[in-house]
Formats: sequence, structure tokens, C-alpha cells
Amino acid sequence: MAPTPIISVHDVCKYYGNFTALEGISFDIKPGEIFVLLGPSGCGKSTLLRIIAGLETESKGDVVIDGTDMLGIPANKRPVNMVFQSYAVFPHMSVEANVAYGLKLERLPKAEIKAKVAEALEQVHLSQFSHRMPDQLSGGQRQRVALARALVKRPQVLLLDEPLSALDAKLRDAMRLELVKLQESVGVSFVMVTHDQSEAMAMADRIAVLKDGKLRQLDSPTALYKNPCDQFVADFIGRINMFDVSSHTRNGDAVQFDTKTLGTVTLPASLMPANTRNLAIAVRPERVRVGLEQPAAEMIAVTGTLGDVAFQGDSSLVEIILDGERSITALATEAQAETLMALEIGTQVYANWQPKDMLVLPENASE
Amino acid sequence: MAKLKRDKPGPFEYSRKFSLRFSFFLASVFLYAPIIVLVVFSFNNSRRGGNVIWKGFTTKYYEKAFHNDALIEAFTNTLTIAFISTIFAVILGALTAVVLWRFRFPFKPVFEGMVAMPIVIPEICMGVSLAVFFSQFGLYVPAGTPYPFNLTNIILAHITFSFPFAAMIIRTRLNNFNREMEEAAKDLGATEFQVFRDILVPHMKPGLIAGALLSFTLSLDDFVITFFTSGPDTVTFPIKVYSMVRFSVTPEINAASTILILITLLVTAVAMKFQTFEESH
Ligand SMILES: Nc1ncnc2c1ncn2[C@@H]1O[C@H](COP(=O)(O)OP(=O)(O)O)[C@@H](O)[C@H]1O
Ligand SMILES: [Mg+2]
Repeated sequence: MAPTPIISVHDVCKYYGNFTALEGISFDIKPGEIFVLLGPSGCGKSTLLRIIAGLETESKGDVVIDGTDMLGIPANKRPVNMVFQSYAVFPHMSVEANVAYGLKLERLPKAEIKAKVAEALEQVHLSQFSHRMPDQLSGGQRQRVALARALVKRPQVLLLDEPLSALDAKLRDAMRLELVKLQESVGVSFVMVTHDQSEAMAMADRIAVLKDGKLRQLDSPTALYKNPCDQFVADFIGRINMFDVSSHTRNGDAVQFDTKTLGTVTLPASLMPANTRNLAIAVRPERVRVGLEQPAAEMIAVTGTLGDVAFQGDSSLVEIILDGERSITALATEAQAETLMALEIGTQVYANWQPKDMLVLPENASE
Repeated sequence: MAKLKRDKPGPFEYSRKFSLRFSFFLASVFLYAPIIVLVVFSFNNSRRGGNVIWKGFTTKYYEKAFHNDALIEAFTNTLTIAFISTIFAVILGALTAVVLWRFRFPFKPVFEGMVAMPIVIPEICMGVSLAVFFSQFGLYVPAGTPYPFNLTNIILAHITFSFPFAAMIIRTRLNNFNREMEEAAKDLGATEFQVFRDILVPHMKPGLIAGALLSFTLSLDDFVITFFTSGPDTVTFPIKVYSMVRFSVTPEINAASTILILITLLVTAVAMKFQTFEESH
């Protein structure tokens, strides 16, 4: 039996004048999970988060938090708390006062506030900074203040709007892990907004991919990667080589796809999606092998010249140039990359992969 | 780390460049020479204040000023008017600024322009219009009204011309308020009023202080508008000084002006102290 959702979003729409910021968004958030709203800038992620927080009112639909319909309940009465993109740490209050503010509003006894604040600051490793003013803190420390300030309220769900985007790259990677650890230790669900797919993949239990105010796909990171529902999701999550299909014909158990770059490709019919409008066939870089000899006949192969080999530590990204403009990317292991790097740029190579590794993707699964 | 010694001034070492030092010196002379002369000659043992010949040190003109009841009364009136009108100007200015910043309503630009109007209207017009307004509506204070209510007309006039300045300053301060701050407070459980009290007012504080300072000094030395709205029993310091100067310039006026300058400096210093105290805590 599935656990009762802590947040239930049902058919939420948001219109600004005649601009549609969100349309027909529905999903459930489970207790204790990290739920990520992922999508390009302007797709409505923040709007959705703010609707859950009560800072924005939905034009249509319901938000149910912990079994209570939130219609008409203002932000200050909702059992969720938010970490803002700018952190919004109060500049005229010390770290301690910032964290204590939400508890003071609850009129808790002073001693209890003190104990809870100390615990929250401990959790985010800020105990020794409790008397500092926000302008004496680094960006990362200010973010921890915002985290502690929200967590000390013991929310049912913590909402985070692009929590890592204002940090520098190195700190960002460290904070990913730290946020996940923090979530595990406090046990509340996190709903996090990001436009960074690698961040989403690294942290999320489940990801909702948004595009132009619509939910494209909701799945675990691995499922999104292995079975993207359409071209947008496949392209947005990880790297992919995509080939437009001009026409396709079905012959029993097989389908023939006509493409400009690969010519005619025959794939098993089991790969066909329900929606077949504007299809493309695609393959992930790590499935593509690069060789100097003609590959076996059952492989899908294309001839090109060797381009850049981008070293990435344990693996390398290899570019195979097909004609002037098109290219294919392959992910090579350390050993493979070494042999390829020994070759001259421009050497003729064969990029090849197995038919079963291909994905057949509609342009937009929900249209 | 050892401090480096350089002979040539670096690009940001303005204080070491001769040209900059010289221009600073020039500006200081222009700004402060008249005031220094005024202060110095308030101690001059000469019967005429316009006399630029030093006749020896004396404090007798301070004594004289302190025993000049009419002057003291004018002085007290001025301070009272400045104090009361500042309080109202800042409250009114803050409310106006918050309304203009916070809400969208029809004809808002018209309203904004109307608020800013007293800043550009010549003082003489304001003075005349206020005088006419008060007399047309019979809003004059009857003789014998107890202090400080006998100053009501002048106080009202001063609030009228100083609150737009306060509103402008506070409005400017509000422009760099991060709205997420307000939302964060709400998210933590604050009501609209608590957001205003705990987040918005502290943010406005430097603007409130600056607005108060400006209102106070505007009121302190206003001549034109006060002239049109004061009666024979409600003389303020600038008007008193003007009438004394018409009679003869004595070092007594220097002395009284010096005290006024001191009070202005003191108020500014207290306000600045208050502000830096806020910032360091
Ligand atoms: N108050 C508003 N009025 C009009 N349009 C808005 C408003 N707030 C957001 N939008 C629009 O809604 C869309 C989604 O915004 P947002 O949720 O902030 O996107 P993001 O996914 O980058 O967080 C954007 O195109 C934005 O311009
Ligand atoms: Mg956003």
C-alpha cells in the first residue's frame, strides 16, 4: 500500500492575464522523500513552489497538505516552510535571532526557543556563528541560516527554491551531499526547485520535469534517464544523440525508420511509444562504441571522423563528426579513450551501437 | 603581513593626491568659512556684530542672549515647532511612502506627483496659499491659547512642506527592499502587521532617521512659510533674527546663531551615532 501523500497537488493551473504559467499540474509527494521540480528557466517551477507555500494563489485546482485542503489558508498558517532563492536572511537580526524569529511568533517559552535554536544551529554547523550578523557571513553560511530558520519550525515539508544556484561550483557539489544528509537526519520531505539536471539527478528520489507550465514526466532519476517519455525529457536529462525520423513503417514485429543521418534503421516494434507524432530515435553516449574496423552487420553504424576527446577523469567524451554540422557523442572508458587519443584528429572511425539500446521518442508525449 | 611603503599614491589613495587634497580644502573653505567667522565673532568684545576687528574675548553676548526673553521665546518656539512637525512629518511621510511602494491603484502616478509637488512649488507660493487657506477657513489660533497649541498653524504649515521630503527619502529606501524578506517572514508565521513591525520598519530605519533629520533642519531655519503663517505672538527664531538684524547687527545674534548651529550638530551627531549603533549590532 502506498503511504498517504504529505502533499497532494491536483490539477493546479496559474494564469497571469492570458499567459499560462502552469497548466493541469497533478502529483503526490510522499513523506520523507526529496522531490525535485526540474525544468528550464521560466517553466513555472518557482510559481508552483510558491503556490504550495501559499505565497501565490492558484487560478484553478487544489493543494492538500497533510490531509487539509489549503484553499484560503495564508502562507503564515501553512505547515510548510521555505528556503528562498536569495535566502532572505533578515539583515538586522543576528544568526540566532533569525532562527528564533519563527518560534517567537509562535510565542513559545524563551528557554524552549533557546534550546531549539541551538539544536537547529548545531544541525547546520553554525553554532559558533550564532552571534554574527548576516553581513559577516559567507553565502554558504547565509544559506545555512535560511535552512535552520525554516527547519526549526518543524515543517511537514521543506520547500527549497534553487537553494544551490547562488553558491560557487565547488561549494555547490559539497552542499548537494550535505542537503541529502540533512534531509535524512530530519526526515521531512524536501520539495526542491532546480534548473540543473545533474543536481536533480544527484539529489532526488523523484523528479517532476516541467516545460512551459506543463508536467512532462514524473519518475525516479534512473527511470527518467532510461525511459524518458519524450524528446524534451531525453535531451534535458543527461546527454543524448537524437536523430529525427522523417517517416516510419511497421512490418509485423519490426518498424523501419527513415532518418537523414543514419539512413533506414530497423528496430523492434516493442520500442514504439503510444504517441507517434514527430518521432525521433536516440541513443545515449555510453551506448555508443567507437572503432576503427567495420562493425558487425547487426549493429547500427555510422562512419565519421574523430573530433575532440574531452577528458573527464574516469571517462572521456568523444566527438565523432559525421558531416560538417552533425556529430555524435560517445562516452569512452579510460582504456578506450587512451587508444582514441593516440589517433590523429580527423581519422576515419565507426560509431556503432546495438538496436536495443535505441530509444524511440515522440516530440511531446502528452500532446 | 608587513605594510608596503610606496612613494607614489596608488589609484585608490585619494587622500595622498595633492589635487584631491586641494579641492577638498577649497570646498571646506566655501562651506565653513562663514560659519567659522560667525562663531569666532560671537566672542568678540565689540558692540557691533558686523565689526571685523577683534577687540578681545568675551562671553557677555551669550549672557545677553540668554537674558533676552523675546529671543529665548522665539528660540523655544522654533525648537518646539521643529520637534513636533518632525514627528508628524516622518509618520505621514512613512505611511505615504509605504502606500506608494506597496499598492497599485488607479491614478497612482497622479498621486505620486501630487505628493512631490510641495518640493518644487516655490516657498513663497506655499506661504501665501497656506496663509490664505488658514484665514479663509477661519483656522487661526485665538490669542491666549496655551503653549504649544498657539503654534498649531505654523506646525501644520511645517508638516505640509517637510513631509514630502521625508516621504521621498523613505520611498527611495523602500525601493531596495527585497520582497522575499517579507515573504520569508510571512512563511515563518508573521501576520501583515508583524511583517511591518519586525521587517519593514527596521529596513526603513535609516530612511526614517534621514527623513527626520531633513524635516527637522528644514523646519528649524524656515523663514518664508513661517513668516506668512505666524502671528505677533508666535515669533520663531529666524523671524526674530531677521527683525533684530533690520534694527542692528549685534554679536548677540552671532551668539544665538552659534547655539542653533550647536543644536543642529548635536541632533545630527545623535542620529548618526544611533545609526552606526544599529549597524554594528
Ligand atoms: N507576477 C507575475 N506576473 C506575470 N507573469 C509572471 C509573474 N510571476 C511569474 N510570471 C511568469 O511565469 C513564468 C514562470 O515563472 P517562474 O515560476 O518564476 O519560473 P521558473 O521556472 O524560472 O522559476 C515566467 O514566464 C514568468 O515570466
Ligand atoms: Mg525560479
